[in-house]
Amino acid sequence: MTTNGLLNTTSRENQLLAALPMADWLRWLPMLEAVDLPLGRELCAPGMPATHVYFPTTAVVSLLYLTRDGASSEVAVIGKDGLVGYSLLMGGSATLSQAVVQSAGVGFRLPAHVVKSEMEHPGPAMAVMLRYAQALIAQVAQTAACNRHHGIDQQLARRLLMALDRGAPLAEVQMTQELASSLLGVRREGITAAALKLQQAGVISYRRGRISVLDRPRLEQRSCECYAVAKKEYERLLPPPSRVERQVEVFA
Amino acid sequence: MSATNPEMNHLLAALPDVERLRWMPRLELVDMPLGQVLYESGRALSHVYFPTTAIVSLLYVMENGASAEIAVVGKDGIVGISLFMGGGSTPSRAVVQSAGQGYRLTAQTMKDEFNRAGPVMHLFLRYTQALITQMAQTAVCNRHHSLDQQLCRWLLLSLDRLSGSELTMTQELIANMLGVRREGVTEGALKLQAAGLIRYSRGHISVLDRPGLERRTCECYAVVKKEYDRLLPLKKAV
Repeated sequence: MTTNGLLNTTSRENQLLAALPMADWLRWLPMLEAVDLPLGRELCAPGMPATHVYFPTTAVVSLLYLTRDGASSEVAVIGKDGLVGYSLLMGGSATLSQAVVQSAGVGFRLPAHVVKSEMEHPGPAMAVMLRYAQALIAQVAQTAACNRHHGIDQQLARRLLMALDRGAPLAEVQMTQELASSLLGVRREGITAAALKLQQAGVISYRRGRISVLDRPRLEQRSCECYAVAKKEYERLLPPPSRVERQVEVFA
Repeated sequence: MSATNPEMNHLLAALPDVERLRWMPRLELVDMPLGQVLYESGRALSHVYFPTTAIVSLLYVMENGASAEIAVVGKDGIVGISLFMGGGSTPSRAVVQSAGQGYRLTAQTMKDEFNRAGPVMHLFLRYTQALITQMAQTAVCNRHHSLDQQLCRWLLLSLDRLSGSELTMTQELIANMLGVRREGVTEGALKLQAAGLIRYSRGHISVLDRPGLERRTCECYAVVKKEYDRLLPLKKAV
């Protein structure tokens, strides 16, 4: 695996790795492998044991459920805020979901055996990972409630905000309408109509698979409450690292 | 109600002997009446609960008061995973949806036991993964499947967590849990009754033909059950 193009990123751009106590981070550093995460790469197939835990830094990964008749639905979105491969923490190894890169970028990974042995003697690093797992549970649960009660317009707004928070620092989301339709599990026509409304209102501009967010505050107004609820819960569970710790990082 | 013992709860039954002996004196038997709120959204938990005959719903309540059930916990599990995951509270609310009994442990005891690492931690994390599976499947099911299918699924999930084949359940309550209009539940229940699968009278649902319910439900029921069995094969006969 090449590390070309990864020079501009460091593992500490992933918020979980950034939240590790310095001693744990230094211990993990030699085991963390930088990886390219191209669009469409399957990090874990449904029912297959996870081989690594991934910590995206610029890539964004979807956890997708596929139904028997081929319909799909995203249950969680993971970017620099989290990790892919919670089943290795929990001990089940595999899950029923497919983890697939839906916005190309880079990240870091740890082999399964390292995570498993960490879980044998869990310390502060694993406590951080479990808190993230709880934030992920909140996200999945919120998605279940949202799928019951909210409309496509609100859900598209919510999904774009989640992508913005997890993606590169640009106000731009790579997403075709086909992709949005399979993530939200709705018909493409519904997405087209919802995107058009956002565009006509001057909130986004959509061109060839790229959505530029022009007015984030108004996108937030158009989203259902689910966006803010899950975000608040994440921030409660994983507050940003203190400034002191960031300064330490510079010298590490 | 039949006499209850801790091993009727599958997680307590799966504890290694050493742990079970240590836990016994600390497990408090509690009545869990219909509608009791075990914890509120965002509030610190005082206990974790191990239902034996009761069933508990984890509900999300929206700003406008609408609700949606994200998971069901009965004798298969534990209510209060946020205590050991480290958050201490959760945005969901836990409400008893079928009266019964269970055991509880204080928050501090649960944390101490989990932090010993070892078998207790691994067992509870595996259960948590099964619970995540249930929530994720609920998300997908809410998106793609019909109310009739979901009603069957919900009845089956409840049946699996009870000892008999009778549920004490108003249509109102089911509608609240599923997050749908009451009329939809009434219509769905009538269809099931007409097909001879259930009998509904005054808040009691008797399931007459379980295989029939399984044929009518969506795949979500079987998918989740299979994953529970994979993750938690440890349960011993009670």
